[in-house]
Amino acid sequence: MKKLYLVVAVLVMAAMLVPACTPTAPDCTLPEVFCVGMVTDVGKIDDKSFNQSAWEGVQQSKTDGVADWVQYIETTDAKDYDKNIATFADAGYDAIVTVGFALGEATAAAAIAYPNIYFIGVDQFQAWPYDTDTANDIANLAGLNFPEDQAGFLVGALAAMMTETGKIGGVFGTDAVPPVWRFGEGYRAGALYINPDIEIFIVYHSDVGFDKTFTDPEWGAQTADSMIDNGADVIFGGGGKTGNGAVVEAALRGVYAIGVDTDQYYTLPEAAPKLLSSAMKLITPGVAGLIVAAKDAQGGGAAFPAGNYMGLGGYAPYHDLDSVVPADVKTRMEEINAGLLDGTILTGVSPVKP
Amino acid sequence: MLVYVLGFLGAVLLGTLAIVFFAVLAGKGKGTGQKSVIPPSAGSPLPTPSSAPTRYTFKSIIFSAVDSLLVPLLAVLTAILLGGIVIAVVGGDPFAAYKGLIQGAFGSAKALSETGVWATPYIFAGLAVAVAFKGGLFNIGAEGQLALGAVVAALIGYALPGWLGFDLPAIIHIPLAIGLGALMGALWAAIPGFLKAYTGGHEVINTIMMNYIALNITSFLMNGPMKDPSPTNVIARTPAIAESARIAPLFEGFRVHWGFILALLVAVLIWLLLQKTTFGFEIRMVGSNPDAAKYAGINVKRTIVLTMALSGLLAGLAGAIEVTALNYRHELGFSMGYGFDAIAIALLGKTNPFGVVIAAILFGAMRNGATRMQFLTMIPVDVISIIQALILLFVAADAIIRYIYRIKARGERVTLTRGWGG
Amino acid sequence: MNWKRFGFIALIIVILFGAVVLVGSVRQEPILIIASMLASTITVATPLTLGALSGIYCERSGVVNIGIEGMMLTAAFFGWLGSIYMNSIFGFDKMPSLIIGVLVAILSSVLMALLHAILSITYKVDQIIGGTVINILALGVTGFLNRQLFFEKGSIFGGNVPHAPGTLPIVHIPAQEAVSAICGWTGNSENCQLVAKAVGQVFDQQPITIAAILLVIVTHFVLFKTRWGLRTRSVGEHPRAADTVGINVIFMRYANVLIGGVMAGLGGAYFTLESVPSFEPGMTNGRGFISLAAMIFGNWTPFGAWAASLVFGAAQALQINMQLYRESIPAQWAFLQSSYVVGMVPYILTMLILTGIIGKTISPAADGQPYEK
Repeated sequence: MKKLYLVVAVLVMAAMLVPACTPTAPDCTLPEVFCVGMVTDVGKIDDKSFNQSAWEGVQQSKTDGVADWVQYIETTDAKDYDKNIATFADAGYDAIVTVGFALGEATAAAAIAYPNIYFIGVDQFQAWPYDTDTANDIANLAGLNFPEDQAGFLVGALAAMMTETGKIGGVFGTDAVPPVWRFGEGYRAGALYINPDIEIFIVYHSDVGFDKTFTDPEWGAQTADSMIDNGADVIFGGGGKTGNGAVVEAALRGVYAIGVDTDQYYTLPEAAPKLLSSAMKLITPGVAGLIVAAKDAQGGGAAFPAGNYMGLGGYAPYHDLDSVVPADVKTRMEEINAGLLDGTILTGVSPVKP
Repeated sequence: MLVYVLGFLGAVLLGTLAIVFFAVLAGKGKGTGQKSVIPPSAGSPLPTPSSAPTRYTFKSIIFSAVDSLLVPLLAVLTAILLGGIVIAVVGGDPFAAYKGLIQGAFGSAKALSETGVWATPYIFAGLAVAVAFKGGLFNIGAEGQLALGAVVAALIGYALPGWLGFDLPAIIHIPLAIGLGALMGALWAAIPGFLKAYTGGHEVINTIMMNYIALNITSFLMNGPMKDPSPTNVIARTPAIAESARIAPLFEGFRVHWGFILALLVAVLIWLLLQKTTFGFEIRMVGSNPDAAKYAGINVKRTIVLTMALSGLLAGLAGAIEVTALNYRHELGFSMGYGFDAIAIALLGKTNPFGVVIAAILFGAMRNGATRMQFLTMIPVDVISIIQALILLFVAADAIIRYIYRIKARGERVTLTRGWGG
Repeated sequence: MNWKRFGFIALIIVILFGAVVLVGSVRQEPILIIASMLASTITVATPLTLGALSGIYCERSGVVNIGIEGMMLTAAFFGWLGSIYMNSIFGFDKMPSLIIGVLVAILSSVLMALLHAILSITYKVDQIIGGTVINILALGVTGFLNRQLFFEKGSIFGGNVPHAPGTLPIVHIPAQEAVSAICGWTGNSENCQLVAKAVGQVFDQQPITIAAILLVIVTHFVLFKTRWGLRTRSVGEHPRAADTVGINVIFMRYANVLIGGVMAGLGGAYFTLESVPSFEPGMTNGRGFISLAAMIFGNWTPFGAWAASLVFGAAQALQINMQLYRESIPAQWAFLQSSYVVGMVPYILTMLILTGIIGKTISPAADGQPYEK
């Protein structure tokens, strides 16, 4: 018995020796202190996907000296969206970032309830009430969206030009999430644009709960495997860790892989040698940029870009495979990119799964 | 107020009807039910003390209350102490963390309200699992029953006025939505119960399988037939339910709703059912010793089906209440593991309805307070899972707690597991 | 486990494969479809098989273990962590790091199993509670440590996930060469070479997958052909009788639960060291529970559990491959295009099978009961 007490005492003492390194929050209600809070969608902050990218944007604003204090809350259940947003709002935060289309309505409601706080909704249509008339926008709310269909279209075209078997594959999270749907269908459209006869395997991980669909790398790897067994020689993995599993598996099996969201050459070193490109959706700079805009607006500068705000997308450099991709393919990719940007090429993908 | 009382009565009535329905259904199998499906090897060799109906005297209640509260209380404290050490070891401040946790759970009227919001589905789902345990059944399928209950409640909530062509008064609409949602849960759970009683299929496997089936059905409905058709909707979810199907909050401006009160009432009813009625006695008898129950003339098969139906009814209620009182629609992604938390809650409450209520409020408070804890100290919410596991560990292994604090053992053992055979 | 049951299981797998072949044959050689499905069936079944074997050891000795999910998750995390530490911090090469990773995975799972054993055998805690404790604890500990080590700035890896050493390499079994040699003797037709390629695809598996199949055979032998197995089973059926003939019930139960821990540990290692080189909180995604179902389905026999795991594997292969060939599904079968419909097929089938078509499952008699002298 005495031993147990001793162990506990030693542990407590050891605990006291560890310096408490949690910095204390400043008083965010003060006007000179600019605080940014972020509410995640149901999921973890370290999801290596949209939550984490957005958080990196928020952190960047602190590194750049825009924000004095940043903080996040992880949502564990959809019923807590309002509560979590209110936690920041009531603590006097100046800008609140919410991540994910599911928080759209909660964010809009909060923006009306707290007109002095700037809200940034990532992956949310926030032209209130979803119309094109800017007069109806909520002045302190911006919905940050991305041209996922165009990014998907670009890598789809690239995959179609690089395949030797005439078969390409794409492994995605659930198509009930609009950005994922746009990536997947953009990929299909881009491949068909190059070669109408190409065979495309597209599999969405829709048969599990929302909490699992982006966090099932083993399923992603298995699905990529099946596609490769069936002759696919380019695999696009889109959708959090599920997609990452597919990208890494493709690279390990020696076929071309295409990443998603960021330039995954840097985030998935395992896949780097076979990573053709990535369909990019630059959440981090988009969020950081809107936080700067919010601070400017608060300081009486330029007006906050309310309504829908289109972030940057595109395709990542070829990196290690630069010498493998033929020059005419590179030229063609630049042409398609230009065409998509000036509107001469349309992806034909609806924003939401019909 | 009257609306809710009547609504509640309506739900109970429908629930009773469901039970009667299954009783009739199960009763039909009586004739063929003479050959026992219970293998002779199954069941504990000796009837456990808890199987005999206990006489409650004032003294025994006080004694058992002190005894049954002291150990769990110490268990919770020990778990919190150990959790604090874990936080400290990784460099956090345990005092700040717990301050945040308690503030977030009980620190204000709003915090209390949110704790109630979290506790409500936990109470229902915990009761669901507990009732099944009492009957010797392990219902891992509360998750699926809950989801389908929610789907049906949402469907009735938004579509029924349209089907009928006129608006329903709340007094009919609410009980209908809740009742049919609960009925759906009961039906869904009765299937594994039926399979267990009449074919020997394991309820553990079958409820797991039915969780996946329910998930797929729900996803299919949310993405297709039941998807909110309005052009502004981008999410896999149903339309909002009609005003007349919504349960109001208890207090203006707070989210805690009449469902919480209903949950408490249902806990009392379940206790009465288990302790004071013949049906309850049959459940406990079948749960503790099916062979003896059979020789005592209890229709074991029917009891198994009914126990599962009752369990599913409660899980369905959890889902239906979440829809009608809180979310006002069903949405994919809602219900993240209530069914699994419910197992822990039922075990923590030692399958006693009142114990379940306390455990559910404790779990609800921790889940709710975790947000504030994270907000104040950046300590990840996973720490809550560690503390919950430790609480469960110490409550279960009360021998450890009794040893540390030198408390003599007293009272009865609760035996839940009888293997897979019964 | 009887032949009737195996027959039913085989029939189901054939039906599942047949459905895909029917749909996909327009676009792909049937033999390649079958090979691809067979390969992924075997791979997907690996953690399920190992989980079920873990359950068999525990329950044959009379200890119910619903903590397999938690044990696998713990093993997945610590195995991955171990391989990263070895590779990034101690500078080991890929293979030694991975092997140490597998050992760490097994060790961590055995520790969890030890906790379960102490709770359920020594403290006679209700065994379902013990398992639930392990499940919740594993989720909390792995999630918490994953966050602390790899996400928070100032953590050991500076907030970046370090480069994992990769996954265990494929063990090349020269099956393709063998078949192709036979083809050479018999006229070397194109079809024969296709078959050779398909066989090669099925036989090229990673080490844990191969180990799982070998362990099924070993477990069968241990349980039914050795004294150890006889003692284990007697402890699980009639502990008192076993005790009177001098078998140490407590020891046998401890030992078997720990062996179960080894199996679950290997199953956990599959996730992060064989399938993908990364860890994700909660990545076992309920497979521990499915493996319990497989164990019961297989009537607590190793071969039965393996066959049942293969059914679940085949079902996942069906779900993936049905989507691959979605466009070729004829219009009158359009409902099959929905991944939800295909997604529930395996579970409905499992339930149907369990409804007594193939006879009742009978658990070890003393399963779940603590032993008191």
